[in-house]
Amino acid sequence: MNGLETRRRPTRVILWGTLVAVLVLYGFPFVYLLLTSFKTPLDAIAVPPQVLPSQWTLDNYVAALSKEGVVPALINSGATAVLSTAFSLALGVPAAYAITRYRTPSGRIFVVAALVTRMVPTIAVGAPLVETMRRLGISDTTIGLAIAHTTISLPLSIWLMSSFFEAVPVELEEAAKVDGSDRLQAFRHVVLPVVSGGLAVTAIFAFLASWNEFLFALLLTSVRAQTTPIVIANFQTQFGLDWGGMTALSAVYSVPVILLTLALQRHIVAGLTLGAVKG
Amino acid sequence: MKLRSTSGRLRTAMAGIAVASVILAIAGCGAGGSSQGAAGKLTVLVEGGGKAELQPIADLYQKETGTTVELVELPYDGLYDRIQTELGSGKTSFDVAALDAIWLSAFSTGVSPLDDLFTDDVKRDLFPGLVTEAQVGGSYVGMPVWTNSEILYYRTDLFGDPKNKAAFQAKYGYPLVPPTTWKQYKDVAEFFTRDTNGDGQTDLYGTDVKGAVETEWLATVSQTGEKTMVLDPKSGDVSIDDADHLAALNFYTSLLPYAPPGAAQLDWAGAQNLFYQGKLAMMRFWGHAYTQTPANAKVKGKIGVAPMIAGPGGIAGVPGAWYLSVPKATEKQAEAKKFIAFAYAHNDLSIKTSLGLVARISAFESQAGVAGHENYPAILTTLKSPETIARPATPKWQEIVTSVLTPMLQKAVAKGANNAALLKQAKGQIQAIVK
Repeated sequence: MNGLETRRRPTRVILWGTLVAVLVLYGFPFVYLLLTSFKTPLDAIAVPPQVLPSQWTLDNYVAALSKEGVVPALINSGATAVLSTAFSLALGVPAAYAITRYRTPSGRIFVVAALVTRMVPTIAVGAPLVETMRRLGISDTTIGLAIAHTTISLPLSIWLMSSFFEAVPVELEEAAKVDGSDRLQAFRHVVLPVVSGGLAVTAIFAFLASWNEFLFALLLTSVRAQTTPIVIANFQTQFGLDWGGMTALSAVYSVPVILLTLALQRHIVAGLTLGAVKG
Repeated sequence: MKLRSTSGRLRTAMAGIAVASVILAIAGCGAGGSSQGAAGKLTVLVEGGGKAELQPIADLYQKETGTTVELVELPYDGLYDRIQTELGSGKTSFDVAALDAIWLSAFSTGVSPLDDLFTDDVKRDLFPGLVTEAQVGGSYVGMPVWTNSEILYYRTDLFGDPKNKAAFQAKYGYPLVPPTTWKQYKDVAEFFTRDTNGDGQTDLYGTDVKGAVETEWLATVSQTGEKTMVLDPKSGDVSIDDADHLAALNFYTSLLPYAPPGAAQLDWAGAQNLFYQGKLAMMRFWGHAYTQTPANAKVKGKIGVAPMIAGPGGIAGVPGAWYLSVPKATEKQAEAKKFIAFAYAHNDLSIKTSLGLVARISAFESQAGVAGHENYPAILTTLKSPETIARPATPKWQEIVTSVLTPMLQKAVAKGANNAALLKQAKGQIQAIVK
């Protein structure tokens, strides 16, 4: 046993070393952003760059959060992301269920077509959407932007949910039917609870897609529905970049998604595992 | 039991989402304010940094006319995409747009002529370069709303030091003053490049050399007296490899020994920071920055400003102007033009904004001798100079800058660069773009 442990030790060291290296690689930009948000204007643009602030300050947060339009933009971002997630799940879950359970040729074409829409550049969809939203009278509204964001997240939702439904044995539903449930009841009371982890994964991806989206928000909103990514980008002007304000607002904007991910972590892991064990 | 519990949580979550959806769907709007497109309202698209410039004018307009002016703030890069998309669609969500000078020719077909606003009195009170720039295809397509220019920043503590004055006089044979010519600039840059703490390392440089932005070199080109900057947009002839452009590039790169290393990557923010950290004795930079020195900058209270330096042709900068334009697609043509005329008439309201930039000569002149606005005379002199000319009015300009001028400059500031060959290569690349 001890010999086995000894032989495994170098492997563990390598694995841990790799893990730390990857974590640093992924985490450093965000850590640097966080540290910059506490720097004075001079430290923020120091040449060469300095990692730690020479003087810690909360001024950037005070300035960023008191900037006109920041709080409404945060509310808009949340509302748009929640709506878009709801649309995405409401449309994607039944679509994925139908595709995986009925297995028709049209269903297969549909799922491939959904994937193809992911290949279309966003800007190519953006210009027609501007006109469509205007004709519908929902330009510069949260619901209009949420619909636009759903065009991004829906294909992914369908694909993700399809893989999760595939992992649920048909026998489970058949057993429920034997016990007197119809298909809808079996879907609601048996299948959906089993794929709740998958739902969490799909929801968080849909939420993130909307939360971070920039181009549609730029093209489709003006004042009422403007979201935070646009406000963050506004710190970059022709004559310079307010690093302090930009990083402070970016840090604040990161908090909800970090909390959401932590809160749903168990479901996410369970959901990913569910998709992975499909035999 | 567990299944039921999970199902319950799921139902609760779904119900929550549904309720939120319904509420928001009924609202059908966002948290950012009132609806657009209403009567008695003008929507103005403006770049992030420019909103503050227009806000006092918009407020006064609303007070005097009852028309609300909604300033829609967008990031600099995004503003171009938004305007391009909307003008292309034939319908716009805005009635007025603030356009960067370099975008005017790209958007000229989508905006209404403003010829009736450009009276002789108006033209007399605008810098010649701005009047030229506003005219595309024979029509005035934008009214200048604010403008900027590079000016000379220098350290008053260094220039005022009696020891420096005496040493400079002894070495160069003339007094140490803020330089006005290429020769003086180079002399002063050389003089101040030194090791101030005796550790064997240079820690004070006379100037910076920016390799990551092109505008300063373009100003240098104009300082030679060159009247065809890079290319003639009408004929398509490319002049970038002529003698004046080469002289400008040679002077520009001749300052490298007196500038911090890393010129190829140095942009506006980097140069500004080097100056604030006390590592530069002089800097050529946009005029608005004079009022924005950070409180903890080492050079706070020790900054002087002067007009941009002169080459063989004279003083020259590059006008960094913004224009108000009216999209052809808006139904509020008359109201939009009325606002633009109002903005011109009350241009001086922008003096007290964060950027503090205006467009009218009289607005700049109104601050002569006013403490805190020492940058105005320097900007005024630079912009009034006959050598200060606008950038070429070609829709391809942004592409030329990104794919030719900036890469060319980055190569030029590298050791052993052949400036003539680089300009010749750039000529070929620009010809391919504009053909």
